[in-house]
Amino acid sequence: MTAAAGATSAEVRATLPHRYPILLVDRVLELGEQEIRAVKAVTFNEPWYAGLGPDPDQEDLAYPPFLLIESWTQTAGVLAKRLAGSEADGQVMLFGSMTGIEFHRPVHPGDVVEHHARLERAVNDTMIFEGVSRVAGEPVLTVGRITMAFRPGEQLNPAAGPATG
Amino acid sequence: MSIDAVAPLDREELRKLLADTIDTDVSEVSDDADFVEALGVDSLMALEVVVVVERKYGIKIAETEMRSVRTLESTYELVHNKLRVAS
Amino acid sequence: MISPVQAVPERLRPLAREEGSESWSGSYSVEISESEPVFAGHYPDFPIFPGVCVMECVRRAAEAETPPPAGKLRLDSVESTRFLSAVHPGDRLAIELNWSPRGEGWRCQAKVATQHGQAATMRLRYLPEAVA
Repeated sequence: MTAAAGATSAEVRATLPHRYPILLVDRVLELGEQEIRAVKAVTFNEPWYAGLGPDPDQEDLAYPPFLLIESWTQTAGVLAKRLAGSEADGQVMLFGSMTGIEFHRPVHPGDVVEHHARLERAVNDTMIFEGVSRVAGEPVLTVGRITMAFRPGEQLNPAAGPATG
Repeated sequence: MSIDAVAPLDREELRKLLADTIDTDVSEVSDDADFVEALGVDSLMALEVVVVVERKYGIKIAETEMRSVRTLESTYELVHNKLRVAS
Repeated sequence: MISPVQAVPERLRPLAREEGSESWSGSYSVEISESEPVFAGHYPDFPIFPGVCVMECVRRAAEAETPPPAGKLRLDSVESTRFLSAVHPGDRLAIELNWSPRGEGWRCQAKVATQHGQAATMRLRYLPEAVA
């Protein structure tokens, strides 16, 4: 991947509509034409750890695996937003489907997760991404395929019929 | 990319691949069942079918050719021609 | 186990083995209250329950009661998930679960619906705790 510029935390926040407690991308290291690398640091201060019992063991401290998927997807979302450009203004990025998501190792406070997403295909407003997440160079999550699409916001009202979350 | 490293084209295998990708039963995917009208495939699923077929048979389907990915029969023809041209 | 979702699935139909098969099925219900913490950030004044949180509800229902013959299981992978319609504050998820043995592990297939219709389908893969 060419040494493309990344994006600062401020730029990430300007790009993604997500906000606390579920804005799960801290910074983009590299943003290329087809690929993106970004990081999410996991700390004891994640809001979800508020629910911990009195003396949790190491297993209880594992970061929720499905939030790893969300964090990876938001990374892909930054690339998707950039590729869609102004077309995506006022639209909401929807998650269509995902396939072949594997968890290799739990993630704990102190880990810095590096997400790597690659655009496999884009047609009209539909995009397919794949990739991997690593901690200290070791894979923790692999993503076989995730489809995403931009849809006008109002298509999401219950009455509006098929749309995705 | 050598072709023999990639799956040979088999109609029933393609039927299963299509059924799995669109989360439906193989029995639903008859030769001429239209993906969109009969099987409710939306634009997201349609692109997934294209990508899955490309990966499996090591071929590239251009955007203009995607329209012909509408039934098992038409998909089989497209892949068959692509493999014949490439080999 | 910590989770981004506070709602706890309520069991509707206990897990039972299907006649003449090795599959087990049951059903759960989950009330998605507007006070779920994720709604504050997903998205400000445009609340949509995140897809991964729908998955989390399915996982919590699945792991509330696993098929007796399976023993202790751990989640290995998400084979596939498809989101069909958005979930909003106040929606009630009806989750139909179907467990079937697959190789050395089990597949948990889920269908999720709200009052508005189908919301998602999912296939989770579980392996016995002991298998590394």
